[in-house]
Amino acid sequence: MNTSLATVLIVLLAGLFLTLPFLPALIELLLKRDGQPLNVIQKHEGEIRYFSQGFRAYVAPLLESLRECVAQGASATGTMPDGLEYHLLGRTDDTLLRSDEGKEATCRSVEITGTDVILPDGVTFPNEIYAAGEFIGGGKNIYRSLFGEKNVQLGQASTVIRWAHAVGALRAEPDCDLYGRISSDREIQLQSGCAFQRLNAPRIALGRTDGEETDIAPEIVPTSRTVARGLFDGDLDIKSGEIVSSNIVTRGKLHIGAGARVLGSVKAHEHLTLGAGVTVDGSLISASTMRIGPDCQISGPIIAEHEMSIEKGTRCGSARTPTTVSAPTIQVAEGVVVYGTLWARNEGQVVRQG
Amino acid sequence: MLYSLFAIVILISVYTARHYAFTLNRLFGFQRHPYIDIDVADWPAVTILVAAHNEERVITNILEALMNVNYPQDKMLVVPIDDRSTDRTGAIIDRFCEEHPGRIRPFHRTGGKGGKAAALKDAMELVETEVVLVFDADYIPPCGLIKQLVAPFFDPEVGGLMGRVVPLNVGTNLLTRLLDFERSGGYQVDQQARMNLGLVPQHGGTVAGVRLSALRGIGGWNENSLSEDTDLTYRLLLAGWKTVYQNRSECYEEVPETWEVRIKQLMRWAKGHNQALAAYGLKLLFGYHRATLRERLDGFLLLGVYVMAPVTLIGWLLALALFYEGVAPLHGVIALLAITAYGATGNFAAFFEIAAANRLDYTRQRICLLPFLVLGFGVSIFSVSQACLSQLLAPITRSQFHWDKTERFRPVQ
Repeated sequence: MNTSLATVLIVLLAGLFLTLPFLPALIELLLKRDGQPLNVIQKHEGEIRYFSQGFRAYVAPLLESLRECVAQGASATGTMPDGLEYHLLGRTDDTLLRSDEGKEATCRSVEITGTDVILPDGVTFPNEIYAAGEFIGGGKNIYRSLFGEKNVQLGQASTVIRWAHAVGALRAEPDCDLYGRISSDREIQLQSGCAFQRLNAPRIALGRTDGEETDIAPEIVPTSRTVARGLFDGDLDIKSGEIVSSNIVTRGKLHIGAGARVLGSVKAHEHLTLGAGVTVDGSLISASTMRIGPDCQISGPIIAEHEMSIEKGTRCGSARTPTTVSAPTIQVAEGVVVYGTLWARNEGQVVRQG
Repeated sequence: MLYSLFAIVILISVYTARHYAFTLNRLFGFQRHPYIDIDVADWPAVTILVAAHNEERVITNILEALMNVNYPQDKMLVVPIDDRSTDRTGAIIDRFCEEHPGRIRPFHRTGGKGGKAAALKDAMELVETEVVLVFDADYIPPCGLIKQLVAPFFDPEVGGLMGRVVPLNVGTNLLTRLLDFERSGGYQVDQQARMNLGLVPQHGGTVAGVRLSALRGIGGWNENSLSEDTDLTYRLLLAGWKTVYQNRSECYEEVPETWEVRIKQLMRWAKGHNQALAAYGLKLLFGYHRATLRERLDGFLLLGVYVMAPVTLIGWLLALALFYEGVAPLHGVIALLAITAYGATGNFAAFFEIAAANRLDYTRQRICLLPFLVLGFGVSIFSVSQACLSQLLAPITRSQFHWDKTERFRPVQ
């Protein structure tokens, strides 16, 4: 092969390798198969009730039929426009939810109950449930999703896979696994041993609480108020009973002694601990882990980037100023009350006392 | 000449390593989104500044969007800044003001210094709230965005905040698609990795926020800065405040649709960035302040990104000159290996980063366009180098900077 031919060949080969990647690029440029902007949902609010509200709208066309079933004490079946089978229950009778043998059953249709309902134990609902009346679930039931127009009670060791919403109160007996979004327009009560991810209600009571406590949150300080900032490079220890009238930011560990009060917000880069009876008027943020001692009062959002534990008697937010408590992993002792949102991205757990 | 070339290769390698570190962090590291879960709170009062200079094409969209956000109405005030507009921007703002009494307080600026920083500075006289958000007029904030952007300010260490910019007019032409790539890489990977690693996320001046007390503490907006966002980032950092990035707080923007507009935008950014490098670079690295070592290093590298364009050009010229000079490196084989290794993986770093960003965004098909990035890269390197050169020569040529507002392409509303 002479030199000229070799040169031409190598140039052609190089040209080919250079232009080859442009072939799919040109096709994509001309056809615009993926030429749409990223999907930023303009109406997205992050609303916890998004799915439950959607489901309520989904079953709304069936409610007239449901009322007829209730009036006649009958039940009916049918198919939703998307092909899902539904089951209208117009009487308080659980036989329809049992298998022929009366053993553990699986109800594969969308269950729509028109009256108060008490479910047997050990039933799996791979589709949604709509309850127009009071809803009392049996033990070890598994629900995909559940909407209750009144109170909802989940039996011991039940599981919710996607979401549950109660217009009234939502109560979970011990050892329930509540994945996804759990919300109530009134109150959520979780007994000990319950696992959770995202909870939202005006009042969330974990384990046994001392009844309807008075709103003893400290005077509400507007969060937009300008407060001086104390910035500390190392560890910091705030003494018991001390009153701090500024925001605190520490790049190390932070310990706030029992009975102390911070009139601003608190941030620690490392482990943050609160002794018993500490009051924080602003927010509480840890870039690491956080332990909140018993009987504390925190007014603002509480965020830990890793783990968080909250001991009994602590109040987060207040009825007048609800707030958010969030961490990847949260352990909450019985007797804690959160007003607003309690959100464990990975897993939350209500821990037994003693 | 040879040693200069080696120095440049080392410098470029540092940036290459940085690209890889960021990308691998985004793909496999711990992701920080600490404030995004705050959905219930005693929301503070907020002022939203919308900078608008001749924005009749776009101002309606953002004002409409802001009137529909889910932030408590009694705690949110929108301040559109009609900055010496000669089109219908002022009239449109006034109409919105009449339609939404008490929710919009317009600021009509008829004179004064040009530029966004100067406009923001003047508009601060209307701001009374501790939290201030800033948008450019071509942005369209979704319903829940304001709460997301305010939430980080519950952290008393946060002085500045940046959300994610998402191009809306992606499919228009090759340029818009390349800019979509650039934004993906810059936000989905770069900014979020900096957030994850505790480095220096950059304030972008739009879809952004600042704490009023922090801003006042550092002397307010710097009207002499060509990129007030970069300037703000570094002054906050030097004063011990954090700027945080929220990748999930996304907002549509309009990207330039012509190369001419894009080049002007790029040159302005380059000059502003270099201005910040000159003002804060050494102070950041060696000064007495509270930035951590990693913030100092990353902050300095971030300040140097636009300088790297002429540095790379010089490197190419040096390599070419050395080749024709017939200069052989002392350790030829090692040099050859180093250059080959760099050619195989180094140049690929930015592409790798953008491909990873598209993977994270679940936009697989558009990765096919990656080879065209060479075109965008070429335009950028020459434009930025030109900007750097003119900035360097400005004291001699006595040229004044002329503020070029980014042209909009939406049809007039």
